[in-house]
Amino acid sequence: MKRILFFLATVFLSAAAWAQPVTLGASVQLTGPVANTGRYYKDAYEFAVDRINAAGGVKVGAEQRKIALKILDNQSDVNLSVRQYVQLLGQDKVNFLLGPFASNFVLADSSVAEKNRVPMVQGGGASDQIYARGYRYIFGTLAAASDYFGSTIEAMTKLDPRPQTVALLYADDAFDVSVAQGTRELLKKAGLKTVLDERYSTNASDFAALLSRIRSTQADAVLVAGHETEVLNFVRQAKSLDVRPKLYSFTVGVPSADFRQALGKDANGASGMTAWLPSAQLKDRWFGDAERFAHAWKAKFGYEPDYHAASGVATVEALVNAIEAAGSTDPQQVRDALARVSFDSLYGRVAFNDKGQISLPQTMVQIQNDKVVPIYAAGAFINKLEYPLAPWGDH
Amino acid sequence: MALLAQIVVSGVLLGGLYALMALGLALVWGVLNIVNLSHGALIMLGAYATYFLFTGAHVDPFAALPLAAAALFAAGYLIQRGILNLVIRGPMFNTLLITFGIEVILTYLAQLWFSADYRAINPRYAGSSYTFGGVTVPLVQALGFAIAIGLTAAMWLFLLHSRTGRGIRAAAQNLVAARLYGVDPKRIYALTFGLGAALAGVAGGLYGTVSQINPYIGGPLTAKSFVIAIIGGLDNPFGVVVGGLFLGIVESLTALYVGPTYRDVASFGILVLVLVARPSGLLGRTA
Repeated sequence: MKRILFFLATVFLSAAAWAQPVTLGASVQLTGPVANTGRYYKDAYEFAVDRINAAGGVKVGAEQRKIALKILDNQSDVNLSVRQYVQLLGQDKVNFLLGPFASNFVLADSSVAEKNRVPMVQGGGASDQIYARGYRYIFGTLAAASDYFGSTIEAMTKLDPRPQTVALLYADDAFDVSVAQGTRELLKKAGLKTVLDERYSTNASDFAALLSRIRSTQADAVLVAGHETEVLNFVRQAKSLDVRPKLYSFTVGVPSADFRQALGKDANGASGMTAWLPSAQLKDRWFGDAERFAHAWKAKFGYEPDYHAASGVATVEALVNAIEAAGSTDPQQVRDALARVSFDSLYGRVAFNDKGQISLPQTMVQIQNDKVVPIYAAGAFINKLEYPLAPWGDH
Repeated sequence: MALLAQIVVSGVLLGGLYALMALGLALVWGVLNIVNLSHGALIMLGAYATYFLFTGAHVDPFAALPLAAAALFAAGYLIQRGILNLVIRGPMFNTLLITFGIEVILTYLAQLWFSADYRAINPRYAGSSYTFGGVTVPLVQALGFAIAIGLTAAMWLFLLHSRTGRGIRAAAQNLVAARLYGVDPKRIYALTFGLGAALAGVAGGLYGTVSQINPYIGGPLTAKSFVIAIIGGLDNPFGVVVGGLFLGIVESLTALYVGPTYRDVASFGILVLVLVARPSGLLGRTA
């Protein structure tokens, strides 16, 4: 009798184990000052998990398991996000971690992953500092911050007339400082003269002083590393102070729909970059291709996806691919599988270097007639850049 | 030289907006002895009110300012009458906590209703400017400055000469004596808080035409208004204007000579200095 009970118990327990989903945990900015971008990650994680589950879930060894998602709201507070990642691992016992948005969050949160030896795949932090600490459990799908302006500067050297002087402005946060460090090198290599190199405070709302200095230096090109609030303020005040360089480019905001919505016609002429455009060339196992993904996203969430969205989906897909390759949910084995992962997705080719960072080229884009137009990628112009920009009065 | 002139002009214009933001906070603080931590959230609501009047009903933002002010006045009146009045006799810490709570509630309601999208009030003339001898004066900022100064003067005249204004000053100076002379503190307090909210509403509308709006702009604006109220003192609306202009110019010069990343170091450094050297504000009588 005892033996039969034991047998039954074993059967039930193993059935329960079979039914148990693989849980992914993340702490995301659902409220607070960066909720606007944080929502891309929540929506991306949920959308990707839905699709993968609809296709049967993830194959772990011989068994097919569903994926569960646990998302907490960190209220745009770095300290809270660290506590939530501790909670996700310690209390909620999630199997793997997905990332928050923004480099300063990833910098802090990845330490939790590293300490607990659980891999975190994140699509929200691009700062090179994240990968400069020798961490083994952090993998990222955003292109390196130091190269954000890479395609833009390359394009600049091929313009006629070639811009001679550049002003570089950057916010004092982890991402933008990395951008500035990389950009300085790139500018030097390209032989462009930097006439203004200035750091401003995060969330700055008044750019009058900086804009006046840009005017007095008469820089041909202005490169601004900052987040969306800062970039919006910069463009609005540039117009009201009648500062219009021949070219200006911004790290964040330009590819996003609400940037164009907030600025209206004044958004035209702003350049930026994106590592992702919704092209039908980018095939995907779960979404078909990037173009279909973008349509499905718009229909589901009511706004257009940008590279944050695609990057977020890519992190989920990277984890699923790694789990399938490892044939296990053991954090160590999945970590090793992540280091070797290489697959095509709607986001492009996902593979990580030995530091855990992806290598993706940036496409320079410009807003022309209220649309994001790809300008320059892979060493060649795709469309004509509006250059030099027409003065504000001509709009 | 043109650069310096431009920076000073920008600083003055910025200071005008700062002053308007701080005016309502200083008024409520001076009369009710409440540091209204929800002041920035009221500015944010004023910005959204103006934004929706402009985009939804196509009301010119400057024409929408009185409407935003009226709406915020009503909201402020009700907040004071319905909530703050219950704790007005309590210790200052209670009112701080309550206004902080109101700030959180308003901010999160704003995200629920309006989403966290960035928005801007962008009428056709928003980016227009005039250039005099190498110095560019943005139209909207100049209008905002004029409105700020005009409202301050109107406020001053109102407090000095109208019956209600005298009632407000009387309640601020000596409540017991004021009551003996027939001042109804409940009404006066609610009116004052309503006025403070209305001023926040106007400031918000102007802020939205020069900057961007999202539900979370309130906190930093409260902090800035607080600094200006301390620098300017609570006795006199013109003190607030002086505080705002002073801060605007100092921040702009800091951005020029020290670096834009040090602006907040400058403004909060001045706060500390003023608290040490002239605790009643630059124009206030020192104790």
